[in-house]
Amino acid sequence: MLFTVKDVSDFLANKPFIDTVIVPLVQIDLSEDGIKQSSSASDYLLNLTNFIEHQFKGRIMLMPPITYLKGVDQSGAMLLFEQKLKEAGFKHVFFMTSDHSLTALQQTHTVVWLPSIPLESMDATVKNKILEDQLAQVIPVFSAKWSQA
Amino acid sequence: MSNNRVSRRQFLNYTLTGVGGFMAAGMLMPMVRFAIDPVLQSKGAGDFVPTDQKVAELTETPVKVNFSFEQVDAWYKSDVTAMAWVYKEGDKVVALSPVCKHLGCTVGWEGDKNHPDEFFCACHAGRYHKNGENIPGTPPLGPLDEFEVEEKDGLLLIGPVRPNTLVKK
Repeated sequence: MLFTVKDVSDFLANKPFIDTVIVPLVQIDLSEDGIKQSSSASDYLLNLTNFIEHQFKGRIMLMPPITYLKGVDQSGAMLLFEQKLKEAGFKHVFFMTSDHSLTALQQTHTVVWLPSIPLESMDATVKNKILEDQLAQVIPVFSAKWSQA
Repeated sequence: MSNNRVSRRQFLNYTLTGVGGFMAAGMLMPMVRFAIDPVLQSKGAGDFVPTDQKVAELTETPVKVNFSFEQVDAWYKSDVTAMAWVYKEGDKVVALSPVCKHLGCTVGWEGDKNHPDEFFCACHAGRYHKNGENIPGTPPLGPLDEFEVEEKDGLLLIGPVRPNTLVKK
């Protein structure tokens, strides 16, 4: 499910089935030598999370991404967000990012870190292949969480 | 020089008939084309989207076949990649939509070790028989949709989606 009116209505009608939420965390680096890499990473992450949402449409709600500037601490915002999402009825909250520094928060949150792959230079078929491979890596993380509960 | 020389009158006659003929043809051609337009329409793929899958290579085991088409969302054009599960039933090619009838996840073939020879939806353990029929007792309420298929130059074309025609009620 995407965070759109149509999907959210579906969500409200099928609340017990949609128990998982993905929050993409996108780091924005505006420095001269970081801005390009930052845009590539953001593009990759948003493509990948959309792809995952497509696969697990009936169980996962994809939130609009949280964007933050490089070096700004996110732990407080993430804690609050996770708490509110759980109050709203989601059992599993996954934060997905390609910013390595956030892996430090793995003790308190489920942070899925994936190194970014530059998708901009690829044609559609290769891009799709890469996203499928990445998805295959993420699926075990999800199924592990789902089978716990 | 030949003996039968062309007179001025004859020459003008020939030229005028020639030019007039071209002009008449130029006017009539579009009219005729308009009149018989349905015949001229290309019968090609229509809404059928080409894939890279060779029909000869298909077996009775469903395989993933990706295909992409252009989708226009107001001013935003994008290439959408979609997928179908394709297999052969005798000589007939069957292409099933992977979209789970429960809440729209993507189903996988033999996605669960305990249930071979079935489509499996990882979201809520929905299951379907090979022909797309939903297995009672699992969340899905209807059979998987089916794509129309065509073959062209040995390659598979995927057409519009329609309700499952394989499941006998």
